Amino acid sequence: MRLAYERDSDALTGAIEIAPVVDVTAARLDRLEAEAVYILRELTQFARPALMFSGGKDSAVLLHVALKAFAPAKPPFALLHIDTGHNFPEVIAFRDARARESGLELIVRGVEDSIRRGSVRLAGETASRNAAQATTLLEAQAEFDFDALIGGARRDEEKARAKERVFSHRDAFGAWRPRAQRPELWSLYNRRIAPGENMRVFPLSNWTEADIWAYILRERIELPSLYYAHQREVVRRDGLLFPVTPLTPAAEGEVVERLAVRFRTVGDITGTCPVESYAGSASDVLLETLSASVSERGATRMDDRANAAAMERRKLEGYF
Amino acid sequence: MDGVSFLRPPQTWSGAQIRFMTAGSVDDGKSTLIGRLLLDSQALMRDQAAAIGNGELDLAELTDGLEAERAQGITIDVAYRYFATPRASFIIADAPGHEQYTRNMVTAASVSDVAVIVIDAVRAEYGLKPQTRRHAAIASMMGLDIVVAVNKMDLVGWSQARFDAIRAAFEDVVQTLGARCIAFVPLSAKAGDNVVTRGGASWYNGPALVEVLESIPARTAHADYALRLPVQIVLRDGDKRLYAGRIESGSLKPGDKVAVGPAAAPATVAQVRIGGVRVPRADSGASVAIELNEDRDLGPGGVIADAGVRYTRRVIADLCWLDEAAWIPGRRYVLRQGALETLALIEKLRFVRDIATLEHVEANTIALNDIVSVVISARDPLLADLYAELPGSGAFVLFDPDTNQTAAAGMIREIPA
Repeated sequence: MRLAYERDSDALTGAIEIAPVVDVTAARLDRLEAEAVYILRELTQFARPALMFSGGKDSAVLLHVALKAFAPAKPPFALLHIDTGHNFPEVIAFRDARARESGLELIVRGVEDSIRRGSVRLAGETASRNAAQATTLLEAQAEFDFDALIGGARRDEEKARAKERVFSHRDAFGAWRPRAQRPELWSLYNRRIAPGENMRVFPLSNWTEADIWAYILRERIELPSLYYAHQREVVRRDGLLFPVTPLTPAAEGEVVERLAVRFRTVGDITGTCPVESYAGSASDVLLETLSASVSERGATRMDDRANAAAMERRKLEGYF
Repeated sequence: MDGVSFLRPPQTWSGAQIRFMTAGSVDDGKSTLIGRLLLDSQALMRDQAAAIGNGELDLAELTDGLEAERAQGITIDVAYRYFATPRASFIIADAPGHEQYTRNMVTAASVSDVAVIVIDAVRAEYGLKPQTRRHAAIASMMGLDIVVAVNKMDLVGWSQARFDAIRAAFEDVVQTLGARCIAFVPLSAKAGDNVVTRGGASWYNGPALVEVLESIPARTAHADYALRLPVQIVLRDGDKRLYAGRIESGSLKPGDKVAVGPAAAPATVAQVRIGGVRVPRADSGASVAIELNEDRDLGPGGVIADAGVRYTRRVIADLCWLDEAAWIPGRRYVLRQGALETLALIEKLRFVRDIATLEHVEANTIALNDIVSVVISARDPLLADLYAELPGSGAFVLFDPDTNQTAAAGMIREIPA
């Protein structure tokens, strides 16, 4: 398989031989899938688990693995989306369609609801709502008595996540206590919680961004179209591309360009940036991922760029 | 377009995945070594390199993840790192070196295929540090092979005499422990010699550290061992019952004769499924769902095993105590082996293993970071599997039933007569 790159770039000019580079039949994908299935089956210990499902690529992979883990039965949990209200419409459409196909109950709770209740107050209408999600998440957890929340977070994403357990114990405030983490031995997970406490569970902990794309390719997992190259209006700010949308218009004097881009991560529309890309398929994206020189969140997330410890602080407050 | 362009040649994405842990004292340069592995294998992204400031690249800062520990200048918890070379991909479990966090090293060891122990060639002038003995003892207890990285060789002028002295001292320790050391590599993490690329010593013609690691087999490759399939959940497909779990050792195929539960009731495998799809065979490490031809009393916590399986209610085991709260004699703990959780009692504390001197010491208490030999009895039958032979089922953990803390990591050493 050969791939032509038309862009200017120091190293990636001309054609690239992909075949010897990437092997999606690799045993490591089997090892990672088996590990994730094992972790998901551990959830049967809990009375009311829910799987965090945003329609993003990691949660799409997680749902796919969950359906395999319990086949032919349905996974014994609901899907939960904490909606910032600032969404890309195609992601929401994908979320709803995928939830319907899976036959699992989809529960959506919005940061908007928390704002209305007064439990979240934002600096402004277009302020990032990523951090506010933690409050809404804890409210949803209390409303439905969820005792375990399953997330698609990976350790390779970010420094604080690199130290996260697979079964991450949270106190009644949802807070992560890095110094009080329980040791996690072999795969003999400690699933014990006291009333009012809960567990965050991360079956994809050991997957890398490249593993995710290789698995998407191998399993033919569907994703929202914005994960693949498309034409989009953007402006350049601070070394990042910002999508121009009704919610995030260009500032006066900024030059709006129409570029071929894709999203590496998808979150709140005010905080997620695309990267320039011509990768139109999972195999193209995998190749790009293997040659990326900027980290997944570094290239795309404003909230993590604000401060080197931004993620750690959000986690202490109950964020994923 | 700065910040979003793709400027590096593609990383290879190959089949093998190797999980290893690193151990070293605070100043041995372990964090620098990990930084060097990430940098030279191009796992390091430009924004991550930029985040560590100006001037000379401080490789150690790449791995010190949390604010709290950056403030203290020490690594306080196990962190996981990912990188790949053209021949393999790696997960590093980075365990801290200082004494009060032994439990994190045990944790890291339990998910690793091999241990890399970092020794500072400068500070080893007058012999090995107690920490180094402790690291070797823990790696050995956890059944890991050891690779020794003799670091800071540039600061001792690549002295072969120093390297040989360290090697001889470590080999003594290895012999006492009955451990397995598979390689010694003289290197400089700071200069980048013999980490990913060779260099430095004219007298050393062996492989760089990464070359050693690339050839390590996964510890989960236990397909030719005795079958152990702990059942996590029973799935239904119409009238059929499917027993779902992960094969810890051995393999399974339709027609296999198996022994179900502590009664070792004989049964025959009707079908094996992975991900809901029938497969002709499944090996250790695979998460499966299997159907038996016979009706058997089997639920979560039960085990499907080969006909040679034995059960016991008493074991002699090594424990590494992980809880701040010390052992309370007479207290019941929850014991987890495979998918089984049952109550257990530490009947007898045989002795404490002094990790520095490697001697057996009499004691009557077990506190955080102690490594002890005990006799344990359990309410329900346990698999009588030795950790050295079947690590997947010879391992167990103890939970405190009141605080829910993970109290101890256990390894079965003997079955009392």
